[in-house]
Amino acid sequence: MRRERIEEISAADFFYRNRAIAGFDNPVRATYTIVRELVENSLDAAEEAGIPPKIMITMERIERKENGSDLMKITVRDNGIGLSAEEIPRAFGKVFTSSKYRLIQSRGTFGLGGTMALLYGQITTNKPFIVSSAKKGDYINRMTMMIDVQKNEPIVIKREVLGIAERSFTAVESYFEGSYARAKRKIVDYLYQTAIVVPYADIMFVDPDGVVFLFPRSTDEMPPRPKESLFHPKGVDLELLQRLIRASRANTVKGFLKTSFQRIGDKTADEVLALAGIPAEKRLKDLKKEEIEALYNALRSYDKFMAPDHTVLSPLGKKLLEEGIKKELRPEFVYAVQRPPSVYEGHPFIVETAIAYGGEIKPAGEIQLYRFANRIPLLYDATADVSYQVAKGINWSNYGIRSLEEEPIALFFHIVSTKIPFKTVGKEYIAAVPEVEREVELGFKTCARELKLYLYRIRRKESLAKRAFLFRRFYEIVAECVEDITGERPSVEVLLKTRFGDLYEGSGEGEDNSGGEES
Amino acid sequence: MKDLVREKIIQVARKVKEDIDKGRFPELSYPPNSKANIKFLEEKGYLFEPKSFSTISGDRVKSLRTLSGVLYGLSRALDHLENGLTMTKRDFYYLHKVQKFKGTLFPKEQRETDARIILMELLLGMPREAFSITSDPRGWIYGDIELVDRSGRLIRANEVGEMGYSVPPRPENITFKRIGVKAVVAIEKVGPAKNMIELGIPEEKKIGIAILQGQASRNMRRFLRMLSDEGVPIAVLTDLSPWSLRIAATVVYNSINSAHVEGLAVPEARFIGIKTDDVEEGFFSEYKFALEPLTQMDYKAAEDNRHLPNLQAPIWQKENNWFLEKKMKAELEIFKAMSPSARDLKRLYVEYLSMKLEEALGISI
Repeated sequence: MRRERIEEISAADFFYRNRAIAGFDNPVRATYTIVRELVENSLDAAEEAGIPPKIMITMERIERKENGSDLMKITVRDNGIGLSAEEIPRAFGKVFTSSKYRLIQSRGTFGLGGTMALLYGQITTNKPFIVSSAKKGDYINRMTMMIDVQKNEPIVIKREVLGIAERSFTAVESYFEGSYARAKRKIVDYLYQTAIVVPYADIMFVDPDGVVFLFPRSTDEMPPRPKESLFHPKGVDLELLQRLIRASRANTVKGFLKTSFQRIGDKTADEVLALAGIPAEKRLKDLKKEEIEALYNALRSYDKFMAPDHTVLSPLGKKLLEEGIKKELRPEFVYAVQRPPSVYEGHPFIVETAIAYGGEIKPAGEIQLYRFANRIPLLYDATADVSYQVAKGINWSNYGIRSLEEEPIALFFHIVSTKIPFKTVGKEYIAAVPEVEREVELGFKTCARELKLYLYRIRRKESLAKRAFLFRRFYEIVAECVEDITGERPSVEVLLKTRFGDLYEGSGEGEDNSGGEES
Repeated sequence: MKDLVREKIIQVARKVKEDIDKGRFPELSYPPNSKANIKFLEEKGYLFEPKSFSTISGDRVKSLRTLSGVLYGLSRALDHLENGLTMTKRDFYYLHKVQKFKGTLFPKEQRETDARIILMELLLGMPREAFSITSDPRGWIYGDIELVDRSGRLIRANEVGEMGYSVPPRPENITFKRIGVKAVVAIEKVGPAKNMIELGIPEEKKIGIAILQGQASRNMRRFLRMLSDEGVPIAVLTDLSPWSLRIAATVVYNSINSAHVEGLAVPEARFIGIKTDDVEEGFFSEYKFALEPLTQMDYKAAEDNRHLPNLQAPIWQKENNWFLEKKMKAELEIFKAMSPSARDLKRLYVEYLSMKLEEALGISI
């Protein structure tokens, strides 16, 4: 169909003209975005196969250039499902629009995947990229490819078969113009935070200077895969509604409603159509523009839909989140909580929060907040994020925390949703949607209560030990002075032992505790 | 006296030892110098009448610190006493600035150890001078008085230097041999007092001059009380200012801070001026131009004076209200403004003292 072709070409063109939005506006940002897109592609590939991901990233500097952006080469290899000879060109040689007709929680920041990264490499270096892949026990295919930007079609330049694979894998090699030095911190940060939120992934990164960054997995356990489901009627906009209508095979409008949406049965469909003033048996193909609008408005205003199905979501879970935090931050205390599913504007979402304290976490003079959306770290614009605002608004002294900035505390916020409520096209921070705000606040407060209990216990223990220590020192003075005056030493040791027991024996010596104030 | 002090200190330490040996946290009981325990009587001044008692207990860190501090203080006091050594409050503070007391008794400021001295006074029921902690002595007595002090020598208070006999820290050791003065005038300021001595007024008019040099120190108040107990009429001459009212009243009634120490008030002493009547219609009425304005601090002091127990009598409040109303004060140096020549100055002093001693104490000079 002509219309479809236009859509496909515009996808590649869209990228070509809007590199900034997709994160490729300068060599530094592009270097970071390429790593990110390819790593996320690989994580998805392994998770889809139900295998704990194992990813190796190698970056090399091929040629130094004067202007600061060098000719670079990146190789990303994963243990995902692997692709057959037919699948490789389709998976990597074509930029897809996000024209999904079904609903599922997915990673890709922009819904465009790793192909964007490869296309950027091709545009900046005019070099082809290479994809090697195989399913376990099958032939290993190695394809040297380029993308025909105008046609949005893969061009396979060279195809090789390299024996039989013992394990499934996919490896992508691409050249690009980039700058590693200034992107380094972002990339390492990104991998580090990914290791927190994907604790079952093994990630290795060899950077252009030969430095190896290792983020080993700490568990093989993975969260359950999200289920796919139909859209909730409150979660679609007019454009999506039109696309769903075009893609539907239903004959009647009522049939369309029942087969394209969740939470719509006979009765609901009749009520919605009555509201829209459309006969139930009207043929779908005959719907006029005004009628589609009326249908859309009816879906908006109808208020008796059941809440959307949240089984499409795949949160990390309390245990795995705590696992990831323990693994990378080594705190002395961590507590995570998963909030019950909730909904904003027809989109289901789940908030997970955690608080970690002490251990290798040090006070930073600022709020240490780690944010994740659909298992992707959000690295920038933290202060604009709803979770930051919520954290700022909580009276932490109620929880035994004098200052969030000056104490060894890290906060974690993870949101999963079929549509993450990003505030801007940059997709780095979450908008202050009231429903989300509420969940974050309740989440943080639940964690804070646990922290308070923990702090109370350790502080109490410390203060008891300190008290016993001070008692011993003061009673030593008392004993000496009484002996000085009367010539006889009182048996303070017996008194303290009966009164303090073990604490007296064990109280630390040599600390410089300051005494109490004069009454 | 020394034996009594030693006995009391040992008694306190024994009590602590007994408690500990019985497996109890030690406790010491003392009458605090709180409002409830201090009474004010116009005819006797401040009186310490313990009704309620406080406890220093070894079962809480804060209180235990006080307990060990008191015992340390007592052990040092006993050591000084046995060795015939005295110490000042500052010395006592430094006795705590010891390496081994880091984190325990090491004081942040002298206020801490000063407070503990008061505690020791209350606990032992005796002034700190009794257990070797003396104040910096201040004050002199000039005039025809013969006494014997701790040195054992006979002293004539008009033959020992140009300001007279320097009153020692513990005047209790003094015995009077002969008193040839009709009255003693205690004077706040050194300058006018010296002038009176230099002009020969004590010899000519048979009066004694006690130089307070500001607020009367404990030793001076004790000494004046001893003179009063010998039957010597005492007059107090100060500036006319909110602070000087307090100085005069402290000589007469003692102060709240030292209310728990006996023998410091001189209830028979009379405040002879400068008074507001002197300024308004009396001796200095022609010299209002020589008055000084009150400073902000002075004014604040006058406001506080309204609530001091020892200034509640109408005679004091009348003076104090004058400050609040006129916002002025008069200083003893006003005599200089009236009489630039030495002869006039002597005449004016004598005139003023004769009038005031007659009026307040019925004594003619």
